[in-house]
Amino acid sequence: MRIRAERDDLADVLARAGRAVGTRSPLPILQGVLCEVEGSRLRVTGTDTDITIRTTLEVEALEDGRTVIPAKLAAEAVRKLPAGAVSMTAADGEVEITGNGPRFRLRELNVDDFPKLPEGSEGVSLSVDGASFTSALSQVGVAASGDEARPTLTGVLFEGEGDTMRLVATDSYRLAVRDMPDIAGTEPTLVPFRALRELGRALGEGAMDVVLGDRDANFATDRGSLSVRIIEANFPNYRQLLPESYPNRLVVSKTSLLDAVGRASLVAEDHIPVRLNLHDGGIELSVTRQEVGEETEHIEAEYQGEELTIAFNTRYLTDGVSAVASDEIVLETSDPLKPGLISGVNDEAFRYLLMPVRL
Amino acid sequence: MTREFSEPILHVDMDAFFVEVERLHDSSLKGRPVVVGGSGARGVVAAASYEARAYGVHSAMPMIEARRRCPQAVVVPPSHGRYGEVSKQVFDIFRSFTPKVEGLSVDEAFLDVAGLRLHYDTPVDVAESIRGRIRSDLDLPASVGIAANKFLAKLASEEAKPDGLFRVAAGSELDFLHPLPVRRLWGVGEATYAALEALGVRTVGDLAATPENLVSQRVGSAVGRHLLELAHGRDPRPVEGGAGAKSISAEATYGQDLVSDEAIERAVLRHCDRLSARLRRQGYAGRTITVKLRFGDFTTVTRSETVPVAIEHTSDLWDVARALLAKIDHGGRGVRLLGVGAGNLVAGSDPRQLSMEHPGRDAAAEAAEQVRARFGDDAVVPARLVDTPPNPTRGGEEGPSM
Repeated sequence: MRIRAERDDLADVLARAGRAVGTRSPLPILQGVLCEVEGSRLRVTGTDTDITIRTTLEVEALEDGRTVIPAKLAAEAVRKLPAGAVSMTAADGEVEITGNGPRFRLRELNVDDFPKLPEGSEGVSLSVDGASFTSALSQVGVAASGDEARPTLTGVLFEGEGDTMRLVATDSYRLAVRDMPDIAGTEPTLVPFRALRELGRALGEGAMDVVLGDRDANFATDRGSLSVRIIEANFPNYRQLLPESYPNRLVVSKTSLLDAVGRASLVAEDHIPVRLNLHDGGIELSVTRQEVGEETEHIEAEYQGEELTIAFNTRYLTDGVSAVASDEIVLETSDPLKPGLISGVNDEAFRYLLMPVRL
Repeated sequence: MTREFSEPILHVDMDAFFVEVERLHDSSLKGRPVVVGGSGARGVVAAASYEARAYGVHSAMPMIEARRRCPQAVVVPPSHGRYGEVSKQVFDIFRSFTPKVEGLSVDEAFLDVAGLRLHYDTPVDVAESIRGRIRSDLDLPASVGIAANKFLAKLASEEAKPDGLFRVAAGSELDFLHPLPVRRLWGVGEATYAALEALGVRTVGDLAATPENLVSQRVGSAVGRHLLELAHGRDPRPVEGGAGAKSISAEATYGQDLVSDEAIERAVLRHCDRLSARLRRQGYAGRTITVKLRFGDFTTVTRSETVPVAIEHTSDLWDVARALLAKIDHGGRGVRLLGVGAGNLVAGSDPRQLSMEHPGRDAAAEAAEQVRARFGDDAVVPARLVDTPPNPTRGGEEGPSM
């Protein structure tokens, strides 16, 4: 295998495919990316066997062939070469990377050890706008769990609500729901958020094809593709958690609330909640940490309902408020021990249900 | 004027706590028989008012039976958030007297008030003062047992009920203790009682008069020794509270190494269940969960995981412990010792992040705890463990605790 390409282009395809490579893989071969040259096309594949990212680049191909090179090292080596053309040659168990003087000779990994990966999968195919799709995913993704002991909760549920797509995630303490009126709904499919988080950086934000299969979900743009094994489990029945209406409704500026919670977080630790006393005149916010001190402040807000004091984990509250797209947020409540609902003013598409902290 | 209190240990037990909290919110319940618990087909009594107890209703009884015995009782579904809130206020009052507070559940605690000897003439004055505060601040009744140690204080509070106090004066412990039926030695299972009755032991005094080797023959040496200590009114355990426990665990050594994955998993689940009971009893939840295995060759492996929100339920502990267990390669070696522990402890009365999962689970765990308090740790176990023979333990690591 022998190619020539622009440094920045080559560094980019290596780095993006390398995002699927795990940092602590038990198998040495999975520390590498597979480079395949055919015609004038280089295809780079990185995988941790659950998530696979493939990127492609038009190159000046001097000789077809395949090799596996250490993902992080090769990408960094190319990136640190002087600007301009770079050539990469695999022969006799070594890969030579050169350009304008410097020369790396890196040990090749055995190409036959690289796992055989399925090429694409069959299923419902959707065309989406990459930018709005990835931003919707990051809105719901804040509620996904990072706890691998509970795989079901680490996923984002894709499903139909009426005729259109709905995305849902929950870690059991909060639940985020995003409706996508421009996209058709699908059968319920649970996709690891760990993979979805990579979509924007791995594939860019252009037009994206989404294929949801029985075993894998595939995402592709003109810059490459990502496929991931779906989670085979039933998502919790979340619909019963979303009440039709709430007796208390607060409208507050997103930035004032975020700024105030940010100040309160200086005093709070992760497990210390912020108390919100909601009343006609707005919010009295307070946080107390026994061995440190306290912070209190008043936030202007419109409130309709009974006076109520409810407490939330500061990080969970910040996550939900930040995810709202509008400048003004709505916080609906019923009881200090029942979940509050956060959404944007005049924005029905995104809802964030948050369980309170019992004081 | 510095003299010590002879009976510095208080056991404060709220009277029919759930019922009284419900009565605060609905005064029409006052003076009537009230039963708190699930009203469904398999509902269990979580608490009964004294009026209902007069008809033979008691906690952990199936609701159907309770209704049969006392058809006029008002059945109220448990509102656990409210109990937690009031419990926190009760414990705040305890801690305003002494930092040495050891919670046993939401509605009872041991207090070591030795440090108050300069402020009060007698521990009875302390107890009256605590009862007065609970009455004036919260409008709730509480009973207090006063004694030289925890075991006697707990027995004394039962004598104090309802809404009273009872002191076991130093020096007269055995006069109080020995006429009591042996069943009052709390925390010992049915099988042990049966074995003791077979020896003709009816009262605590009978037990105290029985030679240790005879008792040990019947109930095992660790249990026998423990029971005899109690029967002589001896209980050296301090009130554990304040700075308190750093971690709580449940572990056992097996007479025969556990080899199959199934046996190991079941043992871990059993320990999760015991750990859950211990955490609840001491009013804690843990954020760091540890699984420990010692193999037949005495190599020991521990794995731990810190979760975002403190947990104490069996199913939550099991979720984490099972994932940790999966990371340990026992490679066919038999497991000699196995344990599950919780660290990074958070007091149950501290603020708690609520979860959307398992609504009603606290009520079920509370009911299970009532049954365990009476019949021992193994009286209620997860379904997967039903029909397993008792653990063959070697060593005294799982000795009975009160």
